[in-house]
This record gives sequence, structure tokens and C-alpha cells, in this order.
Amino acid sequence: MAIVEVKALARSFRSRGSDVVALAGVDLEVDEGEVFGLLGPNGAGKTTLIRILSTLLLPTSGYATIAGYDVAKEPEKIRPIINMASGAERAGYEFISARGNLWFFSQLYGISGEDFKRRVAALSDKLELGQYIDKKVYTLSTGYRQRMTIARAFINDPKVVFMDEPTIALDVMTARRIREFLAEEAHSSKRTIFLATHNMAETEAICDRVAIIDKGKILVCDTPANLKRAYGMPAYVLEVSPPPNAPRIFTSVPGVKGVTTTLDQERSLARVKLVVEDQEVVEKVLKALTDANIRLLSSWRQEPTLEEVFVNLVGRGFAERELEDAS
Amino acid sequence: MYSRAWVRVRSTYGEPAWLAVNLAVPLLSSSAMGLLYRSTGLGNYAGFAILGGIMLAFWGNVLWSMASQFNWDKEEGIFEIYLVSPAPISAILVGMSLGGILATAPSAAFVGLIGWRFFAVAMHPSWLAVSMTFFLTLASLYAMGMLLSSLYLAYGREAESLNNAISEPINFLSGIYFPSIGIGSPFPFALQIVASFIPLTIGMDALRKSIFYAGGVNEIWLNLLILAVMASILLVLGDRALKSLEERGRREGTLVVRLR
Repeated sequence: MAIVEVKALARSFRSRGSDVVALAGVDLEVDEGEVFGLLGPNGAGKTTLIRILSTLLLPTSGYATIAGYDVAKEPEKIRPIINMASGAERAGYEFISARGNLWFFSQLYGISGEDFKRRVAALSDKLELGQYIDKKVYTLSTGYRQRMTIARAFINDPKVVFMDEPTIALDVMTARRIREFLAEEAHSSKRTIFLATHNMAETEAICDRVAIIDKGKILVCDTPANLKRAYGMPAYVLEVSPPPNAPRIFTSVPGVKGVTTTLDQERSLARVKLVVEDQEVVEKVLKALTDANIRLLSSWRQEPTLEEVFVNLVGRGFAERELEDAS
Repeated sequence: MYSRAWVRVRSTYGEPAWLAVNLAVPLLSSSAMGLLYRSTGLGNYAGFAILGGIMLAFWGNVLWSMASQFNWDKEEGIFEIYLVSPAPISAILVGMSLGGILATAPSAAFVGLIGWRFFAVAMHPSWLAVSMTFFLTLASLYAMGMLLSSLYLAYGREAESLNNAISEPINFLSGIYFPSIGIGSPFPFALQIVASFIPLTIGMDALRKSIFYAGGVNEIWLNLLILAVMASILLVLGDRALKSLEERGRREGTLVVRLR
């Protein structure tokens, strides 16, 4: 059963005298107990959609409901049953302990002392906050601050939790623990987790379904496996030196569907990921490299990931898309 | 409400350095004013300086600090947690204000005690009048703080500039260390009228009368009435401004600050 419904949702902002479209008619349905991923590059509209759904922002047109309540007209009915956390927010008040902060935030929901004790014990256990729960926030590492932030987002036993890049800038172990926690919460407690991220691995690891968003539009929405099956194309990674000046050398070859480039300045090489129609295209690319006096150092084939799905749909990787937006 | 007050008190007294600053700064500024009065042969006015130091601490905490804390919460991303919760913003502001009062009380008591002992201030308090004035003044200050906080909802840093720009003129006009209205005021009548629109001016005038000149409720009833009217009007205005600017913030996208 759908707990989040979004129909033709649009939002634009006035900036320097012109309208900037952040969302251009989004349609979505998210079920109860589902981990739903909203995947897209920075500036794609993920945060705007989360802000509208969490009642912080009004849409310009269209509508969205949470548990049947209109986000624009009935925020007071939605707020008790949702919560949100972002990887960019401060964990809380620095000079107060993690437990003290959690108690304060629980009071925003009128949670009784007994319920608070029970919930904080369970969350602390699941997020492995134990020995840090009574330490002041300013003494905690980034990872433990983020665990506290995640615990805060579940303190009111919400039906829907909005997460905006919850594992950004975290170490591998903490990020993994948080992902496991989110998946457990969704599947064991019938809680809906709405996860906005540009982390492909995170999306593939825990999301039941994924919507890929770009320039305020949902391009596709399905399970990660179905998306890869339908839109994933083989990818080849080439390490070349010297790094080519422009991606045109690759994109001008017929059959190249998309390209993402990572520079390794220390080793003076570029790692180029090519999404291609078939293996014959790679031969043509190698010839183009030889003609341009660029040496191939190594190459390997990669199974399709969600990044290839995005590249196939948009023709650019996330990094290239963000650069394109910036220019 | 109480939980936000608790956050404020814990944050203030959580660090020994802050505690020392909280106690020392109002004492030093009041003592400087008191010594100035004494050196110019107006030793009996030293009480005004001590009272000013006490009230300045409350004034700063309830009004300016409430609005700036509100903005701090907004800039740190904590404000959006409030907004997404079912807790009314006005209750959070009352909590901030109450926390400010509780956090200020020990420092105010310290200033009062030291000032009274050191300057041997002669007091003839009418406690009922003092308490009524004190609470009505704080209610007006809270309401003004709510109005200022609502500006932060819509304007963010621009509101902070306004806050900074008006704080010193208001401190000056309200006569924290000297009578700015009535007998002994150095201001021309027109300026006294302007100063009378600030609740703190009316409150300070009533406190001076009721603490140092044994003015009972009968003597300061007009001050109490004006403070009650100001508090009521400002509370209604503050509440409406908060609601309408929250709605405007949701429409225009100014409720939250993007941190990255």
C-alpha cells in the first residue's frame, strides 16, 4: 500500500530575476516498509523533493500526500508520523550529551520518560552508540555524531523517515552500519525509508526500488536489478596516459553511450569508464587513442551498475552532469 | 517548552568558562557605572546602575539571545528538525526564553548581592509592585523576541543586521543605567515619548520607583497597565507574524539554510 504519493509535483525558485526549475512534474508512489532510493547528481532536485514531502517547502503545482494527508494543506497531521535526517546537519547541541540531545528531541514529540528510555536503549544498541551515549556531542567523532543523528530521526517511531545523503563523508564501517540499520528498520518495523543520495553503492545495497532523477524529472523507477537489466550496458574501464584534454575523443566514436573520467594526477593518467553498445566499439576507441598518441595502460570489463543505467539514460556520469550544471 | 529551557540552561552552565563570563560581565559593567555615579557625587544613583546590570542580563537573554539563538538553530540545521516535528514554534521560543531567564537568574542575583554590599545601595522595595513589573516586563520582552525571531524566519541574516542595528539605540533609549523618562531624565520630552514605546523603558521606570522609592502598585499602576497592554499586543502580533512568516518561508523556500 502506498504511503507516499506524488502527482505532477513541480517547484521552481526565483533566482537573479529568472525562474529556476527544481522539480518539473514528478510522479511517484512509495510503499509502506519500503526502502526507496532517489538517486541523482547534485542539483537534480532530490533535496527539494524531500523538503516538500517533509512539509518544509510548498510545491509550485501538483500535490503530494503522506499517509493520505496533503503535505501542503495538512502539515500538522503529517509531522507526528514523519522524521528526517541529513548528512549535512549538526548532530545537536554540542555541550549536551548524546542522550540529553535525544531526550530533548523526543520532547518535541511529547514522548513519555518510559518510552524514551526504551527507545533510546534499543536505538543505542542497534547503532552501537553504547559507550558514547552519555558523552557530550562535541567530543564525538563524525561517525558517532551521525549515528546520533540517525537515532534522533527514529526517536518518535515514525512511519516515514526522509534521509538526505545520510552517509556522506562517513568511514566505510559507519556507513555500512547505518545502511544495515536502515534496511532492518524498514523491513522489520514496516517503516518507509525515503533515501535521497548520489551514492550508487548505497542505493544498490539497501534500496528495494530506485527512482533516478535528473534536472527535476524522474527518468526511471524500478528495482535496482530491473533497472540494470533494462538499461545497464557493458562498461569498460581504460587507464590511459597522458589524460585526454576533452571527452570528445571518446564521445565522437559511434556506439559510445556515455563516458565518465577520473583524473589521477599523481600518476598522470585518466581512468575512463565507457558505456558502449558492444565490444566492437571498444576497438574503435582504442584506435582513436592510438591516433591521438594516448597510451593505453590497462583495461577491464565491468558489470553494469546503476551508474551505467544513469549514463545510458543521460549520456553523462554524475560528475560530468554536475560540471555541466556548474558551467 | 521545558526541554528547550533545559537545553539553554545546560548549555550555559555546561562549561565553567561560560559560567564565569556569565557572572563577571554584567557585574563589571554595572560596577563601572556605579563607580562613575559615585565619583561624580551621585552615589545614591549607584542603585540604578546595579538594577540596570541585572535587567540588562535579562533583557539580553530574553530578547536578543532568543532571536539570535533562533537564527543559530536555523543556520545549524536544527531549526528544520523543529519544523518537521509537531511542536509549535511558539512553545520552543517560550522554552528558549524561560531557559534564558533561568540561566540569567544566578548572574542577576550575584550582581545584585555584590552591588548591594559594595555600593551600600539604600532600597525601600515594594515587593508586590516589583514582582508584577518584573514579570510584565519579561512578558513584553518575550513577545518582542518572538517578533524579532519571526523576522529570522523570512529574512535570515538580513534580520541579524537589523537586530544588531537596533540593539544599542534601544539599550540607550530605554535608560538601563539612568532614568530616561520622567523626573531626572536627560532627554527632551519628544525623545521621552519615543523611549516610552519600548517596554523596557516603562519596566525600568516602574522598577526604580518600586525598589528605591517604595512605590506600591497604586503609584505605578499606569506603568503596569502600559506594560500589560504592550505585552498583549506584542504577543498577538508576534504569534501572527510567526505563523504568517512560517507560511511565507514554506512558500519561498527561506525556512532552511542549505549547509552544503
